[in-house]
Amino acid sequence: MIKIIGALLVLFAGTMIGFYQAGQFAARPRQIRQLAHGLQRLETEISYGFTPLPEALVRSAGASAEPIAGLLHRAAGQLGERPDDPFRESWELAVTEHWPYTAMRDNERNILIRLGSVLGISDREDQIKHLRLALLQLKSEEDAAREDQAKYEKMSKSLGLLSAALIVILMM
Amino acid sequence: MMMTRIIHLLPQELQQVLARLPEQVRQGLEEIRIREARPLEVSFGGVFRFVAPDGTLESLPDSAYKPDHAACRKLLERITNHSLYAMEEELKRGYITVAGGHRIGLTGRTVLENGSVKAIRDIGGFNIRVAREIQGSANTLLPGLLDWQRLTLLPSLIIGAPQSGKTTVIREIARCVSYGDWRHPAASSWPGRKVGIVDERSEIAASVRGIPSFDIGPRTDVMDACPKAEGMMMLLRSMSPEILIVDEIGRQEDADAIREAAHAGVAVIATAHAYDLADARGRPVLRTLLDEGVFGAVAAIRRTPSGAVAHTITMQRAPAPAAREPTAAGQQASMPIARGQPQ
Repeated sequence: MIKIIGALLVLFAGTMIGFYQAGQFAARPRQIRQLAHGLQRLETEISYGFTPLPEALVRSAGASAEPIAGLLHRAAGQLGERPDDPFRESWELAVTEHWPYTAMRDNERNILIRLGSVLGISDREDQIKHLRLALLQLKSEEDAAREDQAKYEKMSKSLGLLSAALIVILMM
Repeated sequence: MMMTRIIHLLPQELQQVLARLPEQVRQGLEEIRIREARPLEVSFGGVFRFVAPDGTLESLPDSAYKPDHAACRKLLERITNHSLYAMEEELKRGYITVAGGHRIGLTGRTVLENGSVKAIRDIGGFNIRVAREIQGSANTLLPGLLDWQRLTLLPSLIIGAPQSGKTTVIREIARCVSYGDWRHPAASSWPGRKVGIVDERSEIAASVRGIPSFDIGPRTDVMDACPKAEGMMMLLRSMSPEILIVDEIGRQEDADAIREAAHAGVAVIATAHAYDLADARGRPVLRTLLDEGVFGAVAAIRRTPSGAVAHTITMQRAPAPAAREPTAAGQQASMPIARGQPQ
């Protein structure tokens, strides 16, 4: 009896792990898309609104969904709390802090960190160029993420269940 | 109080050095000159000194504190609110005005577009000019500018060398006139006047988001960060000012706007860089304005160790440079004044 309950628990856990993995594969392109939208909003604020960076970040955060909104809010908050620090540091801190809550990978993070080292410290045209470049890079990451999703989303669901089944068989 | 505000804009390392300055020097600071990898320099009470890392003042630059690249970059980010891109107009003009009315001049490599300066890149030099509100600085000046016929001010030109306190004086004039505090016993019953300030460099009122940070009086309207000539016309059309105040005139279009205001019966109080009246006449735009008799008075401000000293000359309408000292108040009243409108 206990054996059967144990086997069921292992099966359940394995399935859940598989579903979680699949969820990550599905969330990644979606979040990259949201991030790109957030940056696009930032670009608009910078190029047309001449909005100061802290305020531009808050506005872009207002227009984006979580977890991107949280990241942008954090960066703006950090600037308000410690205005003496360069923006690059505040941005890096916000990105590093919020990264575990996203489904995105290191590639996207590196793009963001690179962007943070130039935001706010050059003229408008330069800012737009850097933002466009980051958007372009995010687009290619998004395409790759979609391919991954198509390839691995279903697979990781079944893989979770099947590996749990294998463990159960081996334990029997 | 002004000092603490400006010091908080500086990066930590510079704050520490400046905090070690003697209290008296800190209160009297006029300029802080920060140049990347070169000695830190301060000016107070008309003298310049280099600052050593322990806060001692030296006349030789050898052992002075030298701010590094990181400090300068931090300072730049801080004064631009991390948004250099939003400062295009300011960079074109070469300075940024921060909250409190302090002006920070910038030097670096300029970026040209069609032969004119578009921006400054690689900024490595900062000159922080500390703005201060000295109430009472116009006490000696104001009685000489009164228009006894119309119970207001004469259209006046205030001249002085850079750093002689012109802006401080016109801010004080705006405040006094707006409150109806004419600084003369015989004028104590005069009402306050509507004052319009065109504050092209945000130095007079030091507006932050459109709200002046200095006390410039209850009846004063400020057009912030607006080109002088355009701003004067806008105020004339919309705010019906009785007195218009502008800082540092010198271009042809400024002169046209001042003429326009004079014909509308508005007293213009303007400042200009010039050492004395003869010097002012050397500048073509000022010369025509003076010769046309647009101004009813010219006040020359000179800086002495004990403070700014003003020397007022009442002008005649006649084109001849018949400048003379004001004598009695009654005589000034009979003086013809250049103005298009009969009273």
